[in-house]
Amino acid sequence: MKGTNSTILKLSLVVVAMYGFSYALVPIYDTFCEITGLNGKTNSVAYTGNDIKKDNRFVTVKFISNVANSAPVYFEPVVTEMTVQVGKPYNTHYVMKNNSGRQLHTTASPSVTPGKLADHFKKIECFCFEQQTIKPGERVDLGIQFVIDNDLPNNVGDIVLSYTMFDITDKVVNEMSKL
Amino acid sequence: MSTNIDHLKEEHHHQPSGLMRWITTTNHKDIGSLYLWFSLLMFFIGGFMALIIRAELFQPGLQFVIPGFFNQMTTMHALIMIFGALMPAFVGLANWQLPMMIGAPDMALPRLNNWSFWILPFAFTMLLSTLFFQSGGPAAGWTLYPPLSLQGGNSMPFVIFSLHLLGASSILGAINVIATILNMRAPGMTLMKMPIFVWTWLITAFLLIASMPVLAGAITMLLTDRFYGTSFFTAAGGGDPVLFQHIFWFFGHPEVYILILPAFGIVSTIIPAFARKKLFGYDSMVYATASIALLSFIVWAHHMFTVGMPLAGEIFFMFTTMLIAVPTGVKVFNWVATMWKGSMTFETPMLFSLAFIILFTIGGFSGLMLAITPADFQYHDTYFVVAHFHYVLVPGAVFAVIAAVYYWLPKWTGKMYNETLGKVHFWMTTVFVNITFFPMHFVGLAGMPRRIPDYAVQFTDFNMIASVGAFGFGLSQLLFVYILLSTLKQPVTAADKSWEGAEGLEWTLPSPAPYHSFDTPPKVD
Repeated sequence: MKGTNSTILKLSLVVVAMYGFSYALVPIYDTFCEITGLNGKTNSVAYTGNDIKKDNRFVTVKFISNVANSAPVYFEPVVTEMTVQVGKPYNTHYVMKNNSGRQLHTTASPSVTPGKLADHFKKIECFCFEQQTIKPGERVDLGIQFVIDNDLPNNVGDIVLSYTMFDITDKVVNEMSKL
Repeated sequence: MSTNIDHLKEEHHHQPSGLMRWITTTNHKDIGSLYLWFSLLMFFIGGFMALIIRAELFQPGLQFVIPGFFNQMTTMHALIMIFGALMPAFVGLANWQLPMMIGAPDMALPRLNNWSFWILPFAFTMLLSTLFFQSGGPAAGWTLYPPLSLQGGNSMPFVIFSLHLLGASSILGAINVIATILNMRAPGMTLMKMPIFVWTWLITAFLLIASMPVLAGAITMLLTDRFYGTSFFTAAGGGDPVLFQHIFWFFGHPEVYILILPAFGIVSTIIPAFARKKLFGYDSMVYATASIALLSFIVWAHHMFTVGMPLAGEIFFMFTTMLIAVPTGVKVFNWVATMWKGSMTFETPMLFSLAFIILFTIGGFSGLMLAITPADFQYHDTYFVVAHFHYVLVPGAVFAVIAAVYYWLPKWTGKMYNETLGKVHFWMTTVFVNITFFPMHFVGLAGMPRRIPDYAVQFTDFNMIASVGAFGFGLSQLLFVYILLSTLKQPVTAADKSWEGAEGLEWTLPSPAPYHSFDTPPKVD
């Protein structure tokens, strides 16, 4: 019986450890994506460095937009394509309009394709760093400032920046009602 | 020890009768029977759902069901067959056979054993009840991928809780199996002298313990994403739906070996018995099983080649997946070598085992095709995948369970089934299983997507053939039930050693096997 009890104890520890491991996979995956640029994850806090110098390479950046789950907003980039100089900061913006009859809270999730170039696309300012509150019928400009860093490999094709806009009104209202 | 056995004998005399016997039983044979009958019931419920699917797909257009219900059927069919039919069937076989094969009186943890089983009816009642909800049952596929699964109806928390219960049942069962095998073997039975079925179940139990908690974690995250505002997989909150696929398949790939390793053990037991030769390459069988189990933890992303992985990742998962063909090939060659120059006879268990080898290998080959990353972009989520996993699960795992039932039925009941009817059952099953699943390769390669209620007209002929096969297969299994029931009505005639070439401790016991297997441990040399 003694042998059986120690077997049960050890196996139960494995069960608990593997349950913990499933949660540990979440940060492991995030770190892994950050290192490899998997899924085109870009910097989620503003880039503040000043070691980027202009060089004489040019690259095309394309802007696209998506609205998740048919949220009642118009959301489009003002320019869909820019030829930018590597190392020089640029500004552009997206336009969002609330087509619903109520105040909405939204948040945008960015993604860069190809994913391995995501690390070279540095956002100095971005509306995706915060949430938006938009009144019924209101139209707002959502600005971004970005720079392509000098480590960008040569002979890359276009860089595509995509934003997906999510309506998180229900969640925000729920949380505020709890306060 | 001897006082312990006296106590057990006493219990034997005072056991309750009728329904209470089955509810309170802690006997490994009773619990094994409960598991097996339960899995047969689930096999028919899941099979009925498959027939609804095949009826709808008999011709293009919508005939019988609305698309939402069709999706519920594909989802439920998978959940029922995996967690309700196959896994309990293997646990039932383990309950019946492990103590007899290792010379033990019972399982190590009899009360836990009772509990593992009695969780199942409640879990499946909850799962099946969702079909009667106004918003219907789960319809996002058995893989429960977000964001779709997060957007489903009210069934979602019920499905997740029933999966938690099923996971708990499997984990408890696996702990019991390992505790029994490691601590209760007869004196002299070293690990490398264990019957191969015991080995494959030991390794399967370790896979269960390592992988089921990961599923529990993944679905708990789904639950908190939906109801408690977390954002593990919700992109709006910074989560990543692809992360779910990684966690799910980290469980999911070991899971598919949980469904096939015990089948390997069964076939490796039956082939030597009817070839009247020892199993060729016992040691290599053990090592091959262990390597398949280890490899199963590093190949998960081959289920998701198309999600957008870096090239290095796709190459890694392609090659590790192909590597699994090596230990699996070792097994297939060992089975063939076991039969080489053997004195073979072809009773029903042997026929099912032979069909297993051939048809499982076909499923293995289509698996290799799917492992080729660039080709997988064509095959992904088509009927080719459906053909592949049904070949390894139906003429693979299900055939092995049927073979095991025919093989050990005389030992369990002391009664011999009707050999002619058994052979008829075999031929009908084998013919219809191929009529059902072989055409799916063709429509899959031609681009028919899976999980759709309607399809383009050029796929009609092959779908009609598959549907005819499916109904034939389903009806053939009624014959199986008839054979089982008519066997139980026979008088006890089976010999202790029911098959001439059978080897192992279970055949030293009388037929039917006594309620408590080995009161005094046998000596193994």
